[in-house]
Amino acid sequence: MSVKAENLGLSYGNHMVLKDITFELSSKKIYGLLGRNGAGKTSLLSTLASFRQPSSGSITIDGEIPFENPLIMQQIALMYDKGYKDETDNIKSMLQDLQRYRPHFDMDYAEYLIGRFKLDKKKAIKKFSKGMQSAVNVVIGLASRAPITIFDEVYLGMDAPSRDIFYKELLEDQQEHPRIIILSTHLVSEMDYLFDEVIILNKGEIILQEEYDSLVSKGASITGKSELVDDFVQSKTQLHVQQLGDTKSVMIYGSLSDEERKTAMDKGLETGPVSLHDLFIHLTKEDDR
Amino acid sequence: MKSKSMFPKVVMDMFWIQMTWALGFLGIMLIVNIIKIGRTLLGNDSVDNYYVAVFIAANIFMLVIGIISTSFLPHYVENGVTRKDYFKGGLLAAVGLSVIIPIIAFFVAAIERLIVTNLTSITFGDTDLNSVFQEIPDVGGIGDIISTIVQSVIFTPYVDPGSNWVLGMAVFSLNIFLYYLLGWLISASFYRFDTPGGLGSIVIALVLLMLGDTLLRVAIDLPVLESLAAINSLPAGVAVLGLLFIVIVSIWMIRLLTKTVSIKM
Repeated sequence: MSVKAENLGLSYGNHMVLKDITFELSSKKIYGLLGRNGAGKTSLLSTLASFRQPSSGSITIDGEIPFENPLIMQQIALMYDKGYKDETDNIKSMLQDLQRYRPHFDMDYAEYLIGRFKLDKKKAIKKFSKGMQSAVNVVIGLASRAPITIFDEVYLGMDAPSRDIFYKELLEDQQEHPRIIILSTHLVSEMDYLFDEVIILNKGEIILQEEYDSLVSKGASITGKSELVDDFVQSKTQLHVQQLGDTKSVMIYGSLSDEERKTAMDKGLETGPVSLHDLFIHLTKEDDR
Repeated sequence: MKSKSMFPKVVMDMFWIQMTWALGFLGIMLIVNIIKIGRTLLGNDSVDNYYVAVFIAANIFMLVIGIISTSFLPHYVENGVTRKDYFKGGLLAAVGLSVIIPIIAFFVAAIERLIVTNLTSITFGDTDLNSVFQEIPDVGGIGDIISTIVQSVIFTPYVDPGSNWVLGMAVFSLNIFLYYLLGWLISASFYRFDTPGGLGSIVIALVLLMLGDTLLRVAIDLPVLESLAAINSLPAGVAVLGLLFIVIVSIWMIRLLTKTVSIKM
């Protein structure tokens, strides 16, 4: 399936949350959607999943408008930080109910995930802790195997080991059953290795859509003796500086030419890729001027 | 890609969930009724039969589950079901409930009557719900409006199934169906517009209820409140059409409210 947004706009009353957004997701890979609070991530995703209608422009999936289109809506799953305070069913019977509406649902896989997250199959879901309820959302999202699967901050409340299980299972299942997966997150440094492609949304606009590898090569980290590093980076845009004793590591924005790399090597400086985390902060920095 | 329509599943799901609630309601009503029969054995006078008891309480029950039915909307859309399939499914499930509740009440009442009259000397009060309605005087002014509303809710037009089996059940079904629709209408408005719009819909629902109630009275030739006497001159056929119109308007408004509504996250 391929997703295409053209000049997409969304406003709540007079407030424009999405402005003239155009992008295309055409291959079965994991897309990371990054953006600061209020950037419009959830609004964008809810339009994708037909939770709401765009105010202007269009979203099409395989050339068709998804809103109220039964064939397409079945193929999209948007999992978000949804609580289950009123859910008296246990997870098993809830999944049995859901699988009737999800054409690709795999119950065996769901059971496997329930085991991985150590969820009590007999307990009412409303009695689960916050983190466990988030794990329920993860189980539903993964086991639905929807061709377009969206996780919007779905891990909230999950502890680090559970999040780790989520990431591992996500990668593993993506390998066996490739689909378009969109991960919207704040935990950039924790999840960056999952992304094949990164989309950065800022103030309702897409400022970047790029392959993860080429994106992180847009910057570089220079590590070495303090004064040598300072000398090397003085003409560059610095994103982040770390110092330990006489050793300094500076993240810069802008790729290094081969010549620069050679110079760095000659001076005994180490060069490496920049982290997505630092790049993200730099690219979405508020203009303070 | 599978292309099966989802709405038959929605019908089944919503029907069975709400039917379980309905069985709970009918069960409680039966227990209350049996307790009343017990008290009658100890010397109190007559007791309403089960059918009448359910008839009186079912309005409110259907209003409440109608209100709850909007909470199925986000559930379905989140699971990839269109708003249209939800609407069609919910509507058909409501029709099913409205038909089946009177039937269950009728048969349970018949069995209860058979057992009780054979084993005891108890007689069931021949409740004429409609005569109670006539006895209430018109108060005038705002009190009149309030009393009209209250009476519409409490003294729903009633046809004894003993006198006309089909008509009695049909009137019962139609009544509770309208209550379900109005509950659904109110909650759909709250979901769509938040509080002010929701409150406005309560006023609309009350107007529809009073009109529907009065038209039904005209159609089955029951006395009409003096304040709404103008409608009384309508021929029964026109009243039935008017009633149908009110049902359709309610359904149409629910569809309009939910057609493109945004799902809250």
